[in-house]
Amino acid sequence: MTEMLKKNAKELDHNFRYEISEKVGAKSLLKCIQCGVCSSGCTVTEYVDLQPHRVVASCLLGLKEEVLSSQAIWTCSLCHRCTERCPKNVDYSFILALLRNMAVKEGKIPKEYSGTVVTIYDNGFVVPYTGGLKDNIDRRRNRMGLPQILPPNLDEIRYIIEETGLGDLAKKKEGDK
Amino acid sequence: MEYAFFLGCTIPLKLPHLEKAFRDVASILDVKLKEMDGVSCCPEPVSLQSLNIDTWMTLGARNLAIAEKMGLDILTICSGCYETLKTVSVLLEEDEKYLEKINAILKKINYKYTGKTKVYHFVEIFSQPEWLDKLKELAVKPLDDLNLAVHYGCHLIRPSKIMQFDHPEKPEKIDLILEALGAKTVDFATKLECCGYCARLQEEIGENLVEEKMTELCELEEEVDALIAVCPACTTQIDRKEKIVARKKGKELDIPVLYLAEIMAIALGVELEDLSLKQRSVKPNKLIEKLTT
Repeated sequence: MTEMLKKNAKELDHNFRYEISEKVGAKSLLKCIQCGVCSSGCTVTEYVDLQPHRVVASCLLGLKEEVLSSQAIWTCSLCHRCTERCPKNVDYSFILALLRNMAVKEGKIPKEYSGTVVTIYDNGFVVPYTGGLKDNIDRRRNRMGLPQILPPNLDEIRYIIEETGLGDLAKKKEGDK
Repeated sequence: MEYAFFLGCTIPLKLPHLEKAFRDVASILDVKLKEMDGVSCCPEPVSLQSLNIDTWMTLGARNLAIAEKMGLDILTICSGCYETLKTVSVLLEEDEKYLEKINAILKKINYKYTGKTKVYHFVEIFSQPEWLDKLKELAVKPLDDLNLAVHYGCHLIRPSKIMQFDHPEKPEKIDLILEALGAKTVDFATKLECCGYCARLQEEIGENLVEEKMTELCELEEEVDALIAVCPACTTQIDRKEKIVARKKGKELDIPVLYLAEIMAIALGVELEDLSLKQRSVKPNKLIEKLTT
């Protein structure tokens, strides 16, 4: 369990709730009544430092740093039961994705998540498909009589990744700071 | 019937035997699959969406736009691809401004997404009443002696306001397909529990979920011949973790996990040797024996 947190009103980020709710799909944040249905059905409820209803409460209170630094926003298994069951239609799954995006902008990305965009940038797929790896995959498919993989259009894929703001992260190689 | 066939990454590159099983099924059922040239990863809904929703949506919209150029609806064989492509299409249908923003980016690479493409998972197609009749008719090796447990996985059915696929807490579509092929499906308490694959930060979450599910199935009164899943992530997660948990905890967990298209292929008469049934951690030896005697 988390320790009791004491904060002065002026240390809270009163705009945080609107920063989230201005996004289409996240407006529902403001409707939360703290009933706890999300947390009671949550797949990872025993494993998180902040249960879903506490994450939402913290967003509403303006505890931006606590939320964005929490392990809870990355531990979620994305089973979507919270969103499915919420009686006020709060889309917690989407809000969580948004919170993760915000944490990423602050450079807080668990390594289990950061590599995906590099792989997609390099291969077009989320599985490495170049050089020797590609040869092995092609041989295996060939043996099974499967058609050749049609190559993804890397120029277009890279253009989209850069244009939408993930270019720097995508071009980061292991060992880069 | 013809679809733009969205293969994704995990199945064609890591688990091609699942693709093979599906292509065999499609060919027997006379569903035409048109390959999609130039598509990327769907992109995968877990980490890419977490890193940047705009990147995720725009790459997804480009894939949809490719199908639109082909003038076909999309057929997916992976719950992750299904979740991404369906979510992108539903969200963009609801949000015209966002669609404009995405199209402004796509325009520079000569694409436009208008929202015409529909996205289907193969379960959605084959569970329609006319297809169930066809399956019954074409099942040359009906699964009459089999007790099967179904794992739906999360992303196929939830959030239901987007997926609009089946009942989010009491789905039945996969059961219907298996029953049409002659099998009996079992009811069990952890049927709708997550496989834990997407909870990447803590290995123990997945292990505990798989242990709970497989222990329950092994203790059921009626012996379960296989667990049937439709998502490559769920399929491999449960298979691998079942083996790991059995070893770690000294439990006798030996129920094999099959991908839905594999068991469909068996019922529709594909030779067992042509399917890579041994290619998993928990070998389906007993199942193969039952199918060949």
